[in-house]
Amino acid sequence: MNCETLREHYDLYALGIAEEPERSEIRSHLDRGCDTCVPGVRRSLETAALIGASASQAEASPQLRRRILASIGAEDSAAGSAPQVRRSSWWPVWAAALVAAALFAIAVYLGMESQRYAEEAAGLRGEMRSQTAQIGRLTEAFAILSGPRTIEASFGGAQPRPPQGKVFVNPTRGVLLIASNLPRTSADKIYEMWIIRKGQGAKPLPAGLFQSQDDGNAMHVQPGNVDVASAAAIAVTVENQAGADQPTTTPLIVAPIASSTP
Amino acid sequence: MLPLILALYASPEERALIERLQRREHQALAELYDRYGRMAYSVILRMVRDKSTAEDLVQETFLRVWNRVQSIDAAKGAVGPWLLAIARNGAIDYLRSSAGRERNAVELNETGHAPLYGEMEAEILLSDQARRARAAMDKLAPNYRTVMELAYFEGLSQSEMSVRMGQPLGTIKTWVRAALQCLRDELGTAVSS
Repeated sequence: MNCETLREHYDLYALGIAEEPERSEIRSHLDRGCDTCVPGVRRSLETAALIGASASQAEASPQLRRRILASIGAEDSAAGSAPQVRRSSWWPVWAAALVAAALFAIAVYLGMESQRYAEEAAGLRGEMRSQTAQIGRLTEAFAILSGPRTIEASFGGAQPRPPQGKVFVNPTRGVLLIASNLPRTSADKIYEMWIIRKGQGAKPLPAGLFQSQDDGNAMHVQPGNVDVASAAAIAVTVENQAGADQPTTTPLIVAPIASSTP
Repeated sequence: MLPLILALYASPEERALIERLQRREHQALAELYDRYGRMAYSVILRMVRDKSTAEDLVQETFLRVWNRVQSIDAAKGAVGPWLLAIARNGAIDYLRSSAGRERNAVELNETGHAPLYGEMEAEILLSDQARRARAAMDKLAPNYRTVMELAYFEGLSQSEMSVRMGQPLGTIKTWVRAALQCLRDELGTAVSS
């Protein structure tokens, strides 16, 4: 089919409503970098973009910007220059600074107790930083849980001695693991999550290190893209503190992922 | 001619933004959101009609852009229209999934293919043209406007429009072509030639 025939179908293609055989023909011309069809379809995509721009303007919640930045781990750096994030992310630091200033005044007034108050302020700042980081993790976890294409899988349900829990896998947001009854690891060991891929010889992909809490519970988030189609299971092994490129121990968690993918 | 002239001179800022995204500068994503976040949200909300879902899909859109930005040519690319295509494709994908409709992902993914957005006017979505696009849509005859909205905002094929509107497929095809021609006539100077 020549370009002249296809020309009148560019707009339909750009809107996603071209029919066969024109659709395949245009795709074929684009694939080979056709000098006529590439710029023609590009113009049609511009028209399509302008149709989108005609939508009535609406305002997303102020939290959305922060969510997006948090999802790439940018909360702190973005907060330095974006007014919206600056308001929400720096308040603990300002609060800590105020507390520190107040403590300093009290320390001067009380003389001998200044050192104790200063240490208290430093502890408070550290706690606030820790809470900010925790909020970031929870935001990422929520994004995975609420994602429309998130797949859920359980593990450990039939075992007499769990660990038990669930994993949630979203193709664009990452993997969330929630586990309980994890055995305590020794001081020089750590848990490492893996994405086990289909096919013989396919190496498992490392998906982050984590520790369990004293009560055996753990929540681990590995943000980012996941090729769900090639993933067979999510697994967890115990590794040395630095982690490993490949599993070196028998997994104590294996959560198979359903093969159907969006 | 003005938009075309603007295209030659107004894109360095956008190019710089793409290059910063490709260098994985987090602040660049914040600026990208400040530029296009509202538009992406508006389009997606218009499509899915649910604020919470729309925000999820906007987040997904920006993460896709962040993860795929290496595929766009910083020297030529227009990240706005590309982002909008990704936003729309994601929303259509969601609508089709939630309605149990047949997916059409191949073609939709192709319209989100970054190289197609090379040499496109970088500022096309940021200038006065968005207002002109609204005016052009408003000018369309009701049936023409309906088929454009069903195609763009609901991702319906012409056959699906035929069923939805209770009109013969041939009539729908005529309306679609006529509507596109009217839009082209109205926006003729808005798109590069």
